[in-house]
Amino acid sequence: MTRPPFPVLKLPLLLVLAALLLASGGVLWARHQADDAGTALQQQQSALNRARQQLDHSRQQQQLIATYLADYQTLAARGFVGAEDRLAWIEAAQLANRDSGLYGLDYRLMPRTASLPSLAQELPLGQTSMTLTLPLLVETDLTRFLAALKSRAPGVYRVQGCRLTRLNNAPFEAVNRPQLQAECELLWFTVATVTEEVR
Amino acid sequence: MMLDHRLILLATPRQIGVLDWRPGHMHWLGEFAADTAGLTAFRQVVVRHAQLPVLLVADTVDEDYRSEILPHVRGHARNELLARKLRQFFRNSRFTGAWRQARETTGRRDDRYLLAALPDADWLMPWLTVLHRERVPLAGITPLALAYQHLLDKLKVPSSHTLLACRLSNGLRLSYYHKGLLRFSRLIGGDTPTQLPGNAADEIAKTQLYLSGQRILPREARLHVLLLDPSGQLDSAQAPLNADPAFSARLIDMSSLSRALRIPDDFLAATPDVAPLAAIAGETVHLNLAPPELLQHHTEFRWRRALHAAAGIVALLGLGMTATYWLYAQDLNDQTRQMALQQQQLDARYQTIARTFPTRVAAPEQLAQTVRLARQLDSRQPDVTVLQATIGQALQATPDITLDGLHWTDDTLTPAGDVQVNLDAAITPFDGNYRAAMQRIEHFMRTLQASPAVRDVTLRASPVNAESTRTLSGKTLDANAADAPAARFSLSLHYREARS
Repeated sequence: MTRPPFPVLKLPLLLVLAALLLASGGVLWARHQADDAGTALQQQQSALNRARQQLDHSRQQQQLIATYLADYQTLAARGFVGAEDRLAWIEAAQLANRDSGLYGLDYRLMPRTASLPSLAQELPLGQTSMTLTLPLLVETDLTRFLAALKSRAPGVYRVQGCRLTRLNNAPFEAVNRPQLQAECELLWFTVATVTEEVR
Repeated sequence: MMLDHRLILLATPRQIGVLDWRPGHMHWLGEFAADTAGLTAFRQVVVRHAQLPVLLVADTVDEDYRSEILPHVRGHARNELLARKLRQFFRNSRFTGAWRQARETTGRRDDRYLLAALPDADWLMPWLTVLHRERVPLAGITPLALAYQHLLDKLKVPSSHTLLACRLSNGLRLSYYHKGLLRFSRLIGGDTPTQLPGNAADEIAKTQLYLSGQRILPREARLHVLLLDPSGQLDSAQAPLNADPAFSARLIDMSSLSRALRIPDDFLAATPDVAPLAAIAGETVHLNLAPPELLQHHTEFRWRRALHAAAGIVALLGLGMTATYWLYAQDLNDQTRQMALQQQQLDARYQTIARTFPTRVAAPEQLAQTVRLARQLDSRQPDVTVLQATIGQALQATPDITLDGLHWTDDTLTPAGDVQVNLDAAITPFDGNYRAAMQRIEHFMRTLQASPAVRDVTLRASPVNAESTRTLSGKTLDANAADAPAARFSLSLHYREARS
């Protein structure tokens, strides 16, 4: 083919140019559509995954509720959940002392503190130290008192430790007079509700 | 296939025939006499097909062929060489052309050319004027003998020296082909006495003598004569030719011809002139006698067609890619819609479950964790009775040791997980014999250690400090004295209850 006769090829050249423009425009538009659709699909995929995870999570929560709700409500009724009920604890100690036929006791409740994180496991767990001092006739009185307290105690507590000492070094006398003294430290545990703060 | 649609014109001094051809289809548009009416009708046909390229096949007595061996050159040099040769041989001819047929295999390996011309082509001008005025893209002007060459190709004639004697409307044409390539052709006009059958054989013999005389045909070569005559008038020439050992003649029947050209028998029988036109229609024109200025429209046509094709290809590609992307996007949108539907269903199921959750309690995870923690805190604490019994048994085994104080700390919630016990005791009575006292303390410690729940029994405070760095003072005592002091000591141990 010889040198192109440009003057008579204006229309075909314009046609080629128009085809190029239309083709490139169409391709760019369609590609933009495909890109948008791809992005929307990815977003929808993420949303679907989130919904699926949410549903799975809700099923797990449902299972947890079915398993633990009754116990939780029981604990709440016992005073483990919510504000501490010091009067109930004191009352329990007094009743336990009376039930075990002992000779009175002294108590001291310390301010509430946050439990160690390793024990609290990220829950708002607080603990209140209660020191009980009570005279005993024999060592087994302590065991009876602790058993009576266990049955009377409304909340969750642990006996952190006890100290048994002789009141004096007097020789044994067969009279109904306490010769021993027990000093026990109890920890009352409470879990604050959402509106509470463990101070 | 539309790109091959073209008009093939068979032009003679008396008339012009027009074949509308495209692969697999052809349509004979008619013959037009070389007069005013014919030209007008021809023009009307041309106008109707002005967009098609035209190949003009010339069939005339006035044609000239020369075989030439020329040096092998290329490009512009070849064009100049051929132009000079054509001017030299066909001085005043406007319609000339050269065809490089082959290259010599020996010597300088020169090129073999066939030069051809239409010395008197005035009869062509009216037709060409019509084509030029209507801006018809004239692809070329080629001699009818070249069309016959393609016809021989399609007939698959094996001989290397072939003379085709063809009698159509314009007379008897004798064309010589060497190894299938045109070397010479002549037309014996229809108004001469050679139209008689006997004269045809004579004309063939004369042509053979001429070709031999011109050294175009080797003298010893046997000429294979093919007789093509739809009217059958050349049939009688076969016998006298075959009687001569210099010839071997055979007739080409119309059915073989129609089969070779793939055109219907009846169409070929009705218009036998289309045979050479159909043969050359789809082929490349090797020998073009048209001057460049007549080909200008065809050059424009080719450029225009190429650009249209390019535009079409670009548009098709663009359309294809656009459609592909668009369909892909639709597919993605469908997937998105399906996922959105699934999400709605999942959300609805979640809402159904969430509605069953109690509203006044903590989150389910915190709820479970609270219960588990309470269970852990509520878990069994060391039994004080067992602890006291364990220590009491050891005291019973060592009756001269009395317990002054007992202190235990529950560390079971810590990683150590046991109970730390401290006990303060005394040896009574104590006679001041610290050695004996230490032996009894050690015995007491061993007794404690023997219990499976007890470990790490250590002496925290001894009754006496016998270290060399300390001052040690005292006095011996009477063991029976009432105020004999006690030998006090302290032990610590770890207690871990055996879990059932």
